[in-house]
Amino acid sequence: MDGRTFFRTFRDGGDKNGMTELVRLTDVTKVYQGGITGALNGVSVAVEKGEFTAIMGPSGSGKSTMLNLVAGVDRPTSGSVVVGGTELGQLGETGLARFRRDHIGFVFQFFYLLPNLTALENVLIPAQLKGNPASGRARELMERLGIIDIASRYAARLSGGQQQRVAIARALINKPTLLLADEPTGALDTRSGEQVMELLSELHRDGQTILLVTHDAKLATRHAARVLSVIDGKIVDDARLESPELAASDVIRVRGEEASR
Amino acid sequence: MSLKYGVLGLLKGEPLHGYEVKNRFEGMLGGTWDVNIGQIYTTLQRLERDGLVRPVGSRGDRGKQLYELSPDGEKALDRWLAQPDSGPQQLHEDIYVKLLLATRIANGDLKGMLARQKRAYLQRLRDLNRLEEGARRDGRIDLARLVRGALLHTEADLKWMDELSSERFGTEGTKTE
Repeated sequence: MDGRTFFRTFRDGGDKNGMTELVRLTDVTKVYQGGITGALNGVSVAVEKGEFTAIMGPSGSGKSTMLNLVAGVDRPTSGSVVVGGTELGQLGETGLARFRRDHIGFVFQFFYLLPNLTALENVLIPAQLKGNPASGRARELMERLGIIDIASRYAARLSGGQQQRVAIARALINKPTLLLADEPTGALDTRSGEQVMELLSELHRDGQTILLVTHDAKLATRHAARVLSVIDGKIVDDARLESPELAASDVIRVRGEEASR
Repeated sequence: MSLKYGVLGLLKGEPLHGYEVKNRFEGMLGGTWDVNIGQIYTTLQRLERDGLVRPVGSRGDRGKQLYELSPDGEKALDRWLAQPDSGPQQLHEDIYVKLLLATRIANGDLKGMLARQKRAYLQRLRDLNRLEEGARRDGRIDLARLVRGALLHTEADLKWMDELSSERFGTEGTKTE
């Protein structure tokens, strides 16, 4: 199935609740030879379009493996991974590469920018691979992410926070169906990390579906309304968090036992 | 205990009457501690009895009495502020006792208990995050700091749940003596 078929399937995929299922993992296992770290052991989960989902768990629990399988950068040992109606297992290497290029934006902990290219050139790489000049969109994205002023600076000369914003612009240049982020704040100081998460939240408010792997529960619960807990290769909890109207006293009581209403 | 010093602290700036003390106290705590006016009057009377506050002038409109800090009250307040919080750690929540009981009771469903508690902590983290954002939006940096403390405590509670969940539990190791 090529990219165009993917998109049609994805658009027609609405279910009766008006929600569109974007990702479905069914009984997915992943076995790594020579060690069990990062293995998955029978994971089934679905993600709707427009959701901001956090995947949490200790290191080696398999949370990054889940992300890599959804991104099509790795294949499961058994089980199926369907993204936007496309069964990734049915794609050959070329089809998978096209799928990644057209539908997946990936943001990593250590940015992975090409240091000898400028920020703008880094952002444009995925578009060029697609044969699409897109420099207008690149500038628009960089403007929005607050990095237009550094567009012509070499990636190697940027701060961590700037590099991650360039990486986010690069991830978004081909308008991905799904934005995947693996510990995107892991290499940043608190302030830059918060700015990056604010950006992801803004993108989510504009409809971007996001899957975030993090070990930071504060950040996860602040930005994602759904938290999957992964332990030893299994999803042990799938929490959908609420955002009710609350008075301060519903959330915190200072010396609550002395309070009286 | 800290209502007493809260009242002393508010009177340090200027003389206030009971209702002003109540309103400012609640305002300072941003709604995280509701006090009734009776508690404030009782506290003011005890502070006056102990010589830490004193009435200013005579009762005004509708019997309102202004109070100010006495020199002794000022000293007591300064001592209290300089004293670090020590003594036993306060563990108020039921989970501590539930955990001990569930470890002892066969079929205590410890795993389920930990999972449900973890979910409650995740929701609390989300609520606290929103409260912190609200406090910052309102320019209440002092309250945002307080909420941040609560957030970090909840994060620790969450880690505790994860740590417990990864242990193998039995009823062994629960000697009574």
